Amino acid sequence: MKKQMLIILALIVAVLAISACGGAPAAQPTQPPAQPTQPAAQTAGKLAQIRAAGKLIVGTSADYPPYESIDASGNFVGFDMDLIRAVGEQLGVEVEIRDMPFDSLIASLQEGKIDAVIAAMQATAEREEKVDFTIPYRMTKDAFIGASDTTIVMTKPEDAAGLAIGAQTGTVQEGWIQKNLVATGLTPADKVFSYERADQAALDLASGRLQLVLMDAEPALELARQNGLKVLLVTETTAEGGKSVAIPEGAADLKAELDRIIQGLIDDGTVKALEEKHGLP
Amino acid sequence: MMGLFQDLLTTFNFIVQGLWVTISVTAVALTVGFTIGVVMAIARVYGHPALQTAVSAYSVVIRAVPVIVIIFILFFVISRYVNLSPFWAGALALGFASGAYQTEIFRGAIQAVQSGQMIAARAIGMSRLQAIQSIVLPQALRLALPAWGNEATLVLKDSTLVFAVGVPEILRRAQQVSARTFEPFLAFGVALLLYLALTLITTQALQWIERRYRLQV
Repeated sequence: MKKQMLIILALIVAVLAISACGGAPAAQPTQPPAQPTQPAAQTAGKLAQIRAAGKLIVGTSADYPPYESIDASGNFVGFDMDLIRAVGEQLGVEVEIRDMPFDSLIASLQEGKIDAVIAAMQATAEREEKVDFTIPYRMTKDAFIGASDTTIVMTKPEDAAGLAIGAQTGTVQEGWIQKNLVATGLTPADKVFSYERADQAALDLASGRLQLVLMDAEPALELARQNGLKVLLVTETTAEGGKSVAIPEGAADLKAELDRIIQGLIDDGTVKALEEKHGLP
Repeated sequence: MMGLFQDLLTTFNFIVQGLWVTISVTAVALTVGFTIGVVMAIARVYGHPALQTAVSAYSVVIRAVPVIVIIFILFFVISRYVNLSPFWAGALALGFASGAYQTEIFRGAIQAVQSGQMIAARAIGMSRLQAIQSIVLPQALRLALPAWGNEATLVLKDSTLVFAVGVPEILRRAQQVSARTFEPFLAFGVALLLYLALTLITTQALQWIERRYRLQV
């Protein structure tokens, strides 16, 4: 009896282990070959390294249409995805895209897990301290949205004062709210809500928990159209410049090359064509 | 009606691809946790006092740290030195965390086997190791099963945390669908059904094992 028990237990463990080994490759179909992780300081030869690997590993947070999302067949689609593939083509390397939470992107870049980040990300001062950014590939606007039956009227961003407002955690919009509404005393801190994703904030608009959501204009228009929400104000005031590709700090050669390629794609109309393809204003 | 069914099918087909990831992460975590748990529990009960202290420290510290922090430490700090894929970083971190809880489960079970049995085993000439292996453990493992089943379902749900390092399990796939279709209820409903099915299967399997190995007194 006791031997049987031990055998059964051994079997369970073995089955679990086998299923685990079988599962690992399935979970990581595009895992790069083992290579020593680059400490943040040694990023000078980053471009050569990427060329040698023949692969640019790009992190994104694929829950932000029309910039990045995953279609029903599991492909990465959107403006950013098309753009980074065009960049990869010019760079002469394959582009491998990895999906992770927005909050993990910068840390993954710093630790050399990925070579670049394209996630409708803006080059803020806080982010500039940790990573470098290319030139912007697209200037941004933000939008304030409200529920379909809202009576709020906005003519300037400060009209949001005192209202229950939501934004995505760690975004420029959340920073603007903290700096311009909370720190100035216009809105009490307990009326500001932070969400892992913008669509969750939109759900709370519909349920009445929030009066406003501040987010990037284009996904806001999309969200408003699909969920019958009201766009109250589209503004450049809350946005800080444009969206850039983030790269490891000090990777000067990579930055120079990407800047050149991105400027080229803007100049030859590729960016404009992609904006039209994805319905971006 | 047809449209809804079509949506449901598309959503299901997409999310179910994360099922294998969830199962693999959970299986690795439970296996690692089980191994750590049994070894640590034996060390905790029968080991040298210094070893007992070390094991208690592991158990207390790991249980005090949120699992997500352990995942980040493994993926962002440890893997500077050892090349760990996101999958293994996430699964092993869950295993270390579960190991601490399983240590306590097995410690309790071992202590529940009357100490007289150890004395009797030694008296008939068994070594301590023999007695643990042949007398104490077979009983303790049976006693531990109900609590272990509970831990297994908790680890299953904790497996959602591995997406923090980019492993696309069931919940993340549901989020991806929700972000694309703006139909969160459908997406998270499918995720809920999958987790429910996994939990039911796990508990049924463990109950079967419990019945199968119940001691006839």
